[in-house]
Amino acid sequence: MKQIAIYGKGGIGKSSTASNVAAACADEGYSVTIIGCDPKSDSSITLLGGHRIPTVMELMQQRVEITEKDVVFEGYKGIKCVEVGGPEPGIGCAGRGIIVAIKMLQKISTVMQDCDLIIYDVPGDIVCGGFAAPIRKGLVNDTYVLTSGEYMPLYAANNICKGFARLGNQLNGVICNSRNAENEEAIVSAFARELGSELLAFIPKDPLVQTCERAGFSVIEKEPDSGIAKVYRKLARTIIERDSACDPKPLTDARLRELTG
Amino acid sequence: MSPAPKPLEPLIMHPRPSSIVAALYTLRDLDVDVVILHGPAGCSFKHARLLEEDGLRVVTTALDESGFVFGGHDELVNILNKVIEMFDPESIGIVGTCASMIIGEELHEAVLEVNPDVPVIEVEVHAGYRENTKGVIIALESALAAGILSEEEFERQKVLLNEATEVEKRHGAASKEYLEPSRGDTKYTVAKRIIQLLKEGKKCINILNAKKETGYMFADINAAVNQVAKDLGSDSVIVNMANLDENLGLDRVRAHARNIARDLKGMGVEVHEIIGGLDEYPVTGETVSKLIAEKYPGFDFAVITGVPHAIPMDNLEGMEVISVTNGPRQVLPLKEMGHDHVMVEIDLHPKTLGVSNIVESEFGATLRELAREEMQ
Repeated sequence: MKQIAIYGKGGIGKSSTASNVAAACADEGYSVTIIGCDPKSDSSITLLGGHRIPTVMELMQQRVEITEKDVVFEGYKGIKCVEVGGPEPGIGCAGRGIIVAIKMLQKISTVMQDCDLIIYDVPGDIVCGGFAAPIRKGLVNDTYVLTSGEYMPLYAANNICKGFARLGNQLNGVICNSRNAENEEAIVSAFARELGSELLAFIPKDPLVQTCERAGFSVIEKEPDSGIAKVYRKLARTIIERDSACDPKPLTDARLRELTG
Repeated sequence: MSPAPKPLEPLIMHPRPSSIVAALYTLRDLDVDVVILHGPAGCSFKHARLLEEDGLRVVTTALDESGFVFGGHDELVNILNKVIEMFDPESIGIVGTCASMIIGEELHEAVLEVNPDVPVIEVEVHAGYRENTKGVIIALESALAAGILSEEEFERQKVLLNEATEVEKRHGAASKEYLEPSRGDTKYTVAKRIIQLLKEGKKCINILNAKKETGYMFADINAAVNQVAKDLGSDSVIVNMANLDENLGLDRVRAHARNIARDLKGMGVEVHEIIGGLDEYPVTGETVSKLIAEKYPGFDFAVITGVPHAIPMDNLEGMEVISVTNGPRQVLPLKEMGHDHVMVEIDLHPKTLGVSNIVESEFGATLRELAREEMQ
């Protein structure tokens, strides 16, 4: 079983990448689970035809007895979707929510064990202990960093690698989600190399992704024959087959500026 | 489709025992040498201090504001190393707190880094559980994982803890939204009443149903009833029942039962019926009820010490019931159950830590003194 997490700067396209990779793997006949760890609970929405599902935390808040069928929903091609959920911005503690919800899920469901691929979609940088819970609790064995070729997303990706180094977590590869930055593929490729890793996929910027998402679908489902769908399929195959990882060596900030300069 | 909400249990407003503290006491019962509280220096201070009297060493990682923000991994590693160096323990417990658990501290990471060659029981607990017995269960689960508790004993304890929780919900501190603390009836008045009953030759059921070490003081009350009856030359039949089975529970709990039984014997008190072990206070009720119905019907009064609210009223009806608790919030529920006189031994628990002999109770002393006056 592959247990993966994709980390990267907020808004860089982690959820889009996660849901398209999930859909592509499901197309190939793999059983897939996606656990959305963002309090916004939007990781699985494009696998469920635009529908939102009840989150683990909102049910816990209502103090209802929770069973597997209340929080695990089947989306595109049987992909099992779970949303951790969490507080509104500015209140409470989303990180603790991830810890509590994962413990609850382990108790009531086998979705975290019975599948070929499980994807944890964790928001933004690993800003607190809770966001690292899937890694620290031994639930993730492969981790990927998603970035564009711009300075700030690279800075965030580099920072995440610092976190990995501290947690003793390896890096399986870097994925570039293009923002049409100049010389982008070369920059991210160099970044990945200097970390000790490699660039696994270059996802070009394509308005089709937005169009499909707005309609509530992944490109794999809505535009299966498009060029961008092919890119996601290739990435999905790479992730399924990949078995090498490195201890990432984060770059200095000066070197990051130089790379993007 | 959302599942139907389960009926909300009433919110309970009065402060109640903490699951962190419950975990500490459990580690003490498991004879762990040193416990590290991973959290702020003041967390659970009062109980940590008391447990030191009982031979458990407690230290803290003393997390402060920067610990909350930056995590306390290094502090925990540091304290764990220090504990090993300073105390050479045979077993170590690490207990979480609200602060360390909210920020997602992984106790196990520190243990992996230090890699001690003695068992370490990691207890990921905070005080935010509705029932404090949750702290006991988490501690026992960790002890099971660390290999210092048998599966069989673990299952036995789990049943007892669930029963203990039910007892508290039915007639205990979790039975009402708010319970006013009370000192109950005055010991002087109730002691006089017992002396009168003994002088009239009334038949007495004298029950010790204590929780673990609290038995060291509660047993003094049951002993005093026997001694006073003898001194007064009373014709009363007194049947003594006690949860002092020496072959049940953890080693430390069995030792308490042995010590208390030995002292009772030394005080000339014969225990006629053993109603369970010292950790079986939540499940002795039925045994007592059955004994009264089948073997001891027609008694006039009952003295119940320890956890009196675990004894059902069915077969106590018609008897004058006198009970002694150590919980000021237990007075009202006991009165509502139908107990005629309820007394509180204030601060009983601290006085029963670090002892291996019966200690004098205030009510026992009152009873003895009034009986002496009576005879002059």
